[in-house]
Amino acid sequence: MLLTDMEPIVKRFYDGVAKGEYWGRKCVECGAIEFPPHLGCNACGCGHTEWVQLSGHGTLESFVVPGIQNDKPYLKAVEPYGYGKVKLDEGPEYTFVIFCGKKKVVKRLQERLYKDHEVIGVHAKPIERVTPLKPGSDQTVTWSELCFELDEVAEA
Amino acid sequence: MVKLGKQARSVSIVGVGCTPFKNFEDHPETKGMSEGDAFGYAALEAIEDAGLAPRDIQYFYHGAANPFMIGDSLTPNMQVADWFGVRGLGSVHHSEACCTGYVALQEAVQAVASGTYDIVLSGAVDLAASLPVVNAPGCFRRDFPLEEMLPSIPMVYDRAYGRPLDSAFGISFDNWINKYRWEYDLSAEDIDAALNGMSKSLRRDAVLNPLAFYESDFDDAAKANGLEDADAFLSSMFNPKVTQYLRVTGFETKCDGAAALVVMPTEMAVARGYDHQPIDVLGTGAAAFEGATPDNEYMGTKEGARQVYELTGVSPDEIDLLFVNDFFLAGDIVAAEEVGYIPRGEAWQYARDGRCGFDGDKPINTHGGRCNFGHAHGASGVADIVEAVRQMRGTAGAAQMPNVPRTTFLRGFGGGQNIRCQILRTHE
Repeated sequence: MLLTDMEPIVKRFYDGVAKGEYWGRKCVECGAIEFPPHLGCNACGCGHTEWVQLSGHGTLESFVVPGIQNDKPYLKAVEPYGYGKVKLDEGPEYTFVIFCGKKKVVKRLQERLYKDHEVIGVHAKPIERVTPLKPGSDQTVTWSELCFELDEVAEA
Repeated sequence: MVKLGKQARSVSIVGVGCTPFKNFEDHPETKGMSEGDAFGYAALEAIEDAGLAPRDIQYFYHGAANPFMIGDSLTPNMQVADWFGVRGLGSVHHSEACCTGYVALQEAVQAVASGTYDIVLSGAVDLAASLPVVNAPGCFRRDFPLEEMLPSIPMVYDRAYGRPLDSAFGISFDNWINKYRWEYDLSAEDIDAALNGMSKSLRRDAVLNPLAFYESDFDDAAKANGLEDADAFLSSMFNPKVTQYLRVTGFETKCDGAAALVVMPTEMAVARGYDHQPIDVLGTGAAAFEGATPDNEYMGTKEGARQVYELTGVSPDEIDLLFVNDFFLAGDIVAAEEVGYIPRGEAWQYARDGRCGFDGDKPINTHGGRCNFGHAHGASGVADIVEAVRQMRGTAGAAQMPNVPRTTFLRGFGGGQNIRCQILRTHE
C-alpha cells in the first residue's frame, strides 16, 4: 500500500455534501451501494468498491419523535424534525435527521407511515455546522451535516 | 453467516463476587473507594467463592467502559493487580462500553476452553457515579454532573458518520419499541403501561437485593410526592417522558460497582467437588452493528440468539431466566420476544401485568436491571452473571425464584451497539 493508493473516503463524502453532491461506493461484485461510503461492501463482504454519485432522493422507512433526552436545539432551529431510516432510490439505507416543515406533520407521520403505509418521499437537505477547533477556541471548522426533508415540505 | 465451533473443552463458572452497586461517595462505608479497592473486593470475593486463593489464578481480564474519563487511567489492568494479590500475573484490559461485562465472560471462557489456562478471573469495575480528582490519589472523587456526562455518551458512536449526522443517538432509545408498537397496533398508552409495569416489577426485585442501588419502591416515591400509589407516580409529572416512549424511570441509574467471576474447566470443577454446582457456560453468540445502522439492536439480538441457539442446541422453551441489558427499559420487552422467551406480541402484556418479577412466570433481570439495580457501565454485565449464578444455585436471597432456574439466557448489549447472547446451564 502506497500513499497513491489511498484517499480519505470520509472527506470526499463531506466535501460532496457541501456542494450538493452525494457520493457513495458501489460494490464491484454485487453492485450494492454503501451510503454513507465505506471501503468494503457490507452487503456481500467484498473488499472492493468504487465511487458512484447518488440522487440524494429516497423514501422514509421509519420515524421516531425526539423528546428532551434526544433533542438537538440546532436541528429544532431549522424546523420541526425527527429521526428516521431513509432508503435511497439507489438502494442503500441509513438513519438520518428528517425535517418535517410543521409540528403537526411530525405528530401524524408515524400513523401515515405505519398504519396507512403511505410512500413518503424525502430529499437531501444539508445544514451547515460550525464546530470550534477545541473547547473555547475562536478557530472553527465548518462542515455540512447531511439531513433529509420530506418532499411535501419543498412542494408546499 | 457465522457458525460457531464447539469449545475444545467445557468451561464452568465456579466463583462470583459483586460489590454493592451504589454511589460510593454517599455511603460512609464506601466513601473514598478507588477503582483498585472496588475491583479487589469483587475479585477476592469471587476467588474465595471458588474455594481458591489469589495465587491459584493464572491470568485475569479487567473490564471498564470508560477508564480514561471516569478512571483517570489508560492501563487499568496494570493498576488493580496488586490489590488482590496477583502482582506479576499476565492480564489484559478490554473496554466495550456497556457490553464489557459480557465480553468479560466470553474472553475468559475462550482462554480456558482453548487450553491456554485452567483458572482465569474476569472482572470489571466502573465508578460511574462520580469523577476522579485528577492528579490527587484515587480516594478523591468529585461530582459527575449531567453536563459533563452527556458529551461523553456520543463517543460510543461512529465519529465519521453516525455521530456527526445525528443518526445514532437520536434513534437508539425508541426505534425498536416504536417498530413493535406499530407491528402489533398498540397505542402509546399501551406501551406506557407496559414500561411502567416492568418498572414496578424490577424496582420490587431491586429493593429485595441488598446490593441494589434503590432501597425504596415506587409506592414510597408516590407517598413522598403526595400521590396515591406507584401507578400514579410512574405516570405523573414527577416521572416525565424524556423520549417519545421512555420516562425517567426507563433510563439507567448510573452508580459505582465492581463484579468478578472465576472460570475453570468443567472437568476440574467436578473433580474439586464444590458444594455449589458449577455453572456451565454453553456458548456466546456475538454481533455488532454501529448505532446508526437501521434497527441495530433488533438485528444484533436476532443474530446473537441465532448463533448461540444453533451452537448449543438449546431451545427457547428451556430458558428459565432472562437477563437483558435494559439501560433503555424497552429492551426487556422486545428482546424477550426476539430470543423466544415470551411469545411474539405478548411481552408488553407480561410486563404490564407484573409477570416478569422474580416470582412471576417469566422472570427478567431478577436483581432489578440497569434502571433499578443500577448501572456501573462496564461492570454491569458481570453483575448480571453474578445474579444469574446465585439464582441458579438457589442462593439469591429474598428475590430467589421459587423454582430454581437451570438455564439462563443473557442478552448483553452496549457500546453503540455490541451484542452478546450467552446461555448458562447448571452442571448436572
